[in-house]
Amino acid sequence: MNRRPEAGGVASRASMMAWVIGSALCRGSLHVDARARTRGRAKALREAFQQLGPAFIKLGQVISVRPDVFSPELVFEMERLQDAVPPVPSDAVRRVIEQDLGAPITQVFARFDDEPVASASIAQVHRAVLARPYRPVSGPTLPGGSVLAVKVVRPGAEAAILADIATARSLVSGIGRWANLGRLNVEALLDEFAASLCSECDLRREARVADRFAFDFRDDPLMVVPRVVWPLTTRRVLTTEFVDGWRLSELDEAARAGIDGRALAMHGANVFLRQVLELGRFHADLHPANLFVTPDGRICYLDFGIVGRTEPAQRIAIAQVLAATVYGDADRALRYSAELGLVVPEASRARVRDKVADLMADTLSSPPRDVRAFAVGFLRIMHEERVVIPPGYGLLVKALVTVEGVSRALYPDIDITEAAKPYATRLIAREMLRPARLATRLPDAMRASLRVLAG
Amino acid sequence: MSGNEEFLRLMAAWALVHETADEGWKAAVARGESAEPGEMSAGPDAFVDGLSAMIAAEKERLKAELASGKVEAPGSRADVAARLEELRFEVAELRGRIESLQTSLDAILADRQR
Repeated sequence: MNRRPEAGGVASRASMMAWVIGSALCRGSLHVDARARTRGRAKALREAFQQLGPAFIKLGQVISVRPDVFSPELVFEMERLQDAVPPVPSDAVRRVIEQDLGAPITQVFARFDDEPVASASIAQVHRAVLARPYRPVSGPTLPGGSVLAVKVVRPGAEAAILADIATARSLVSGIGRWANLGRLNVEALLDEFAASLCSECDLRREARVADRFAFDFRDDPLMVVPRVVWPLTTRRVLTTEFVDGWRLSELDEAARAGIDGRALAMHGANVFLRQVLELGRFHADLHPANLFVTPDGRICYLDFGIVGRTEPAQRIAIAQVLAATVYGDADRALRYSAELGLVVPEASRARVRDKVADLMADTLSSPPRDVRAFAVGFLRIMHEERVVIPPGYGLLVKALVTVEGVSRALYPDIDITEAAKPYATRLIAREMLRPARLATRLPDAMRASLRVLAG
Repeated sequence: MSGNEEFLRLMAAWALVHETADEGWKAAVARGESAEPGEMSAGPDAFVDGLSAMIAAEKERLKAELASGKVEAPGSRADVAARLEELRFEVAELRGRIESLQTSLDAILADRQR
């Protein structure tokens, strides 16, 4: 029978962490088959992280967007972590708001609800009412009386998590020596984790990204991004419009209200492609909790904690990789992946190409196409072949899979590759017709034509 | 064969090539238009047919756009308006950040006066 130390009792926090993580890894290593063992360890680690609380939930979220470092099994398992914790008392939340906004809460808002509408490890969200009109960065003025969402960093959250991380640093380092956690650099990971945490605790950063997304999609009648009320926003308080709707997990209700799930799912996929291929900024932390469907059938994006970026030069290569993938062309996919930094060494190129082609045939050649299985398999091949995956590339693959999952939650039979085809094809065609490119290619084309005529 | 006849022969060959290509193009557009969604990935021929149909649809849109007289060159009013809108956003964004900083400053002052 398992015995584990009592939290806060005889055992210290450090020994509890060691116990929970150690026993999870042992439990996950019981499988004979190597692939099942990898999956088993990933699942056991996810359960251990959930049990260990906020610091580990945040750490798991960092892992879930780093397929360049961790095994695909661990990456996709960690995205299942549920960031939901009991709320802190409203008195403490009111104190943070009053300290940061410099006035009693009754002066700042026309109404403030003490019962939170959401509560996660870093922050919790309360509903409130705007006291006086405000002109946001874009769009029409918000009238006084508008319903608001007030996100407040939990008092002491940052310090508590950093303390846990300091304790975990030595433990995780020890685990990394005997457990196969992928190409893990513990020190770098913890530094990155601490940096991302500090950035997440400054809500003004998220506010700027939200306003940018709202502006970018101002011409899209099917998209909503809540706009920021800046005079009521500080480092620890983020005030935005409140958007009512259904989380994706509650979509049955939305479907009953007559929303066209298929059209919305296709549009959602196109919105993502527009972010990646046109705007160069994409929401890299989509999951069912931060995506809403409004009663009038629009998609609402929330929580801009993790944003990926693509440079103009990369976008055409990404479009080429997407097109090559959906058309099952392994050679082309690898050739353009190399332009994005995923370089397969010459010695293993033919073998990798054959593996990728087989994987494409297995997962994408006929409906229902399984983008997730393709992505996991692709990353697995790269890990096995010791091919270095650039961080941006890994984040993009992960985001694409997440978008597919989200689209399927909206409409289970959606084929995201159908949405990607016209978008990628248009972008490639536009690139092919660029005057500078035509100027370099036309002489070759003319020579080739003349050779055909002469023959 | 005289020079004139050679020229006529050349133009006739050009017209024949053009006509044949045009017929092939129309046939590809027709096949592409009648294809079901997803059939473009059936092979290179299906892809060309699908692409031809997409190009034909775009051509019709372009024709309508040109006929409406709404096409504007770079540097035109539409182009300037887009740049202005982007600038307006950047200024508004800056205003938002200043409003936030003002709130933080006021909060520090209020705290000192307490």
